[in-house]
Amino acid sequence: MGLPARFGLYVLFCLVIAAIDTRYAALQVVHDGLNAALHPLRILLAMPWDWAREAGGFFTTHADLQNENARLRQERERLMAYNQDRHALAAENTQLRALLALAPRPGVNGLTAEILQVSADPFNRKVIIDRGRAQGVVAGSPVVDGNGLVGQVTRVFPYSAEVSLLTDREQGAPVQNLRNGLRLIVSGTGADNLLEIRFLDMHADVKAGDWLYTSGIDGVYPAGIPVAQVVSTEPPRHTPFAKALCRPIGGVGRYRHVQVLNQMAVTMDATDGKKRP
Amino acid sequence: MSQRPTRHEKAFLRKGAEMAVPATRARVWSLLGVGLALNLSPWADDLRWLVPDFALMSLLYWGIHAPRWAGLGTACALGLVVDVARGLHLGLNALAYCTAAFVVLMLQRRLENFDVSRQGLQLAPLLLGKEALVLVLGLMFAHGEVDWRWLASGAMAALLWVPMAWLLDRLTGRPIATPGE
Repeated sequence: MGLPARFGLYVLFCLVIAAIDTRYAALQVVHDGLNAALHPLRILLAMPWDWAREAGGFFTTHADLQNENARLRQERERLMAYNQDRHALAAENTQLRALLALAPRPGVNGLTAEILQVSADPFNRKVIIDRGRAQGVVAGSPVVDGNGLVGQVTRVFPYSAEVSLLTDREQGAPVQNLRNGLRLIVSGTGADNLLEIRFLDMHADVKAGDWLYTSGIDGVYPAGIPVAQVVSTEPPRHTPFAKALCRPIGGVGRYRHVQVLNQMAVTMDATDGKKRP
Repeated sequence: MSQRPTRHEKAFLRKGAEMAVPATRARVWSLLGVGLALNLSPWADDLRWLVPDFALMSLLYWGIHAPRWAGLGTACALGLVVDVARGLHLGLNALAYCTAAFVVLMLQRRLENFDVSRQGLQLAPLLLGKEALVLVLGLMFAHGEVDWRWLASGAMAALLWVPMAWLLDRLTGRPIATPGE
């Protein structure tokens, strides 16, 4: 067979598997297998960069370290005080829920993961983390960092997973305005540090400086994770809808470590207590 | 007593120390592996769109110098691995790699006898076109938004072709081609 004929066959083959992979999930096995095979290579390739980073960290000055230490101590005191308060509130909340005979709120357990690499994909904003199906990651779990929502697990491989960042154009998160309880949907724009509320009602009460937290009504993101702060609102111009621009609170694309929140059923002490004799 | 080689003998038949190290399957695959590893390295996020496709460059290098080992099948397989590594739909890079390999195989006789800078000139549209092809295929197969900055990686690959091919020529012991000889 001549070269052009063989080329034609290969083109046909590629187009067919591209179409199959786009429309159906049949080739997920291939993705899984090859990703598992590439995983050790990825870890190996990340090593020299980590070493370089560590070597750079070795030369921070004494004054820097002391300043940071002092700051961290203050922060720790503040957080400990806050945490005690939180324990008390959580206990009280459980008690009140039991009193009201409400279903227990599904708890979540966090799984810390390291970002292995930023996916080289010109179409979407994704990162690869080093926790996968073997560690109990499931597709759809929200991913947060210390400050707020970062994204959502969109694909799970045996030992790694793909996280679509909040700033991806196709990602959205249902949120609630902290000031007045207004429910909204925040979407990514494809830009690194910008989110938007598309299709905002012309008279909606959203102002610059408002804090947006997840509302939890979608059953995917637990309620109360900080998502964004409104930067500005745009009145409707060519469309009947207004628009608001927001700044993500979580360090989308800034940190090395994130936490995957896995949904977990929680048994409530109060209801258990009733059943016991 | 040896006679001085005539112009034709020198141009067409190279002997002894003048000959390049033969391209074996192991050599071809190990260079493709290095290219793939460079592609997979965790480059800085902000510069990711500038990083050239090293796997494609090494594939084209062997397409020119060892067309027997770097044919359409190798291109397709390598493209599939790159697709998986980049989290794209299977087949996008595979198709682009096949196309690039096909063009290079068609022009192989000509490219082989050029020095690296002329090769670079001839391959520039190909390296740029590959990035454009992947982006257009991505648009076709339901990826909504395209970051057109990624075309810059094609231009970067064309710029880097000259030093990369020069280095590989020295490593394989290929004599420096003197144009017009």
